[in-house]
Amino acid sequence: MLFVVLTYHQELSKLPIANLQQLVKLTMTLDIESGIRCPKIDMHCHVWLMDGWEQSADHLVASGDMLGITEYWCSSVIQQGILAPVEDVPPHNDTILSAMARHPKRIRGWCFLIPGHFQDAIDEAERCLDAGMIGIKLYNQYRIDDPVLHPILELASERRVPILQHAGYPVPEHRASQPLISHGIHFSEASKKYPDAILIHAHIGGGGDWEHTVREMRQASPNVYIDVSGSNLDDGQVEYAVSELGVERVLFGTDGTMAGSVGKVLDADLTEDEREHIFWTNAERILAQQGATPTEPRTS
Amino acid sequence: MLIDVNAWLGTWPFRSLRDNTPDTLVARLDRSGIDKAVVSYIEAAFHRHPQSANERLARDVEPHGDRLIPVGTINPLSPHWEDDLTSCIDLGMKGIRLFPQYHNYQTDGAESRSVVQACAQCNLPVFIPHRLEDTRQHHWMDPGQSLDLTQLANLIAAVPDAAIIIPNARPLARSPLWMREDLRDLNWYFDLSLAEIHYGLHKSTNAMKDLGYLIEEGGAGHILFGTHLPFSYAGPALVKLAILPVDEETLEDIKYRTAAKLLNL
Repeated sequence: MLFVVLTYHQELSKLPIANLQQLVKLTMTLDIESGIRCPKIDMHCHVWLMDGWEQSADHLVASGDMLGITEYWCSSVIQQGILAPVEDVPPHNDTILSAMARHPKRIRGWCFLIPGHFQDAIDEAERCLDAGMIGIKLYNQYRIDDPVLHPILELASERRVPILQHAGYPVPEHRASQPLISHGIHFSEASKKYPDAILIHAHIGGGGDWEHTVREMRQASPNVYIDVSGSNLDDGQVEYAVSELGVERVLFGTDGTMAGSVGKVLDADLTEDEREHIFWTNAERILAQQGATPTEPRTS
Repeated sequence: MLIDVNAWLGTWPFRSLRDNTPDTLVARLDRSGIDKAVVSYIEAAFHRHPQSANERLARDVEPHGDRLIPVGTINPLSPHWEDDLTSCIDLGMKGIRLFPQYHNYQTDGAESRSVVQACAQCNLPVFIPHRLEDTRQHHWMDPGQSLDLTQLANLIAAVPDAAIIIPNARPLARSPLWMREDLRDLNWYFDLSLAEIHYGLHKSTNAMKDLGYLIEEGGAGHILFGTHLPFSYAGPALVKLAILPVDEETLEDIKYRTAAKLLNL
């Protein structure tokens, strides 16, 4: 992926390996073409419940084709913290099930739930997971450490499926429209009670103080992840998540910012092995916990 | 050849930036395959009288004259800003930058118009960043405002001879600039730093493309290559450049030809 211009020098062999790796990094030139072709699993994207969802799904797949994205983990959510009635939720998940059927090798599903629906939420999760969805998607109706989520966290732990939660630490005027948005500290708290639950803090670039929310996850369980999606493309963001959480806990997602999310991982100061963890291996490991594999094997 | 119309030197008060000195930025350009970059000092946005920052900029980029293209900053509320403009031209600045949200004046007000008119007479392009940082994370000491694109459209209409570059804007295809058909043949430009070609987040199918839709509608001539280094990664703009649905001639325009013409290189 990266074209290395490095003239051999006898002295190089005397350098410690870490110094050599740093030297190689500093002399690398970005090879965007190869980076685009590198296979990727986009674990955070959407197909929406609306007229024309088929176009939405087709557009997503066509867009990702140009960027080496082989599969997409999609949800359709009720936004703005709306506590919608129970009957409003299944149509969103049915849209995703339909998109999965339309693109069986490309689209996988997150089951959207409103935790306050209690047993109905659990029943909906069971229905969707039994139908082939691979995880649970929560938005900003409740924070992830709210006790109302406990039955969902227990279910997710039992079935070894991840929970992707809309999250971020926006400034107060932006937080006012979503007062119950989760941020890092809430993931840390939830993971204290359910350390085996696979929890994913959505979009480090989703808007807000990303350094703040990542720092808050220092004490979280190793099963807490963050994804790189979002329209904020601040330099250093991916490396910061890797340095704070470890590369095994950083996932590739786009949330609609397709080229931006690919570009930030390609441009991040990481080794090729670290990049592969983000683009592929970490998502593959999450799938393996529920006995699943990527829809297509990774081809270099 | 690749010219980045959206790069910076200096310090952002609210977050540490890498590669923000002339030497390190040039090294980053090398790693990114970018030949030249338009630069200004970030600090100029916070200085009431930015001319000293302009003078430092001219001095600091001089050793990298073949790579870094200096653009001076004017605050139209600073007395005798006209003298600063003359000095910027003497210092070799290839354009002028305005920060209405930081220097606290209306984007389409008399102050902006005066500077833009003066620049048009001197054949200097005017750079007006839509924003410097994502407003959703702004520090309480930062105004944290994106410019109103309707006001920018008004400014472009008021000074039709000017060349105006608006880095860091998004979305583009449904922006008030592109929606105003009377402005479509004028010299205003977006860059690739933030907008997406295929944006999959919107709930309406006709809003799923931004740059892609702008290009389909005939707006490719308004696009320039820009990264927003070192605030942002260069990778996103480079990826977009690699998959942009345009022909080879248009791609060369976006990569450098239009920018070179605007900057009189």
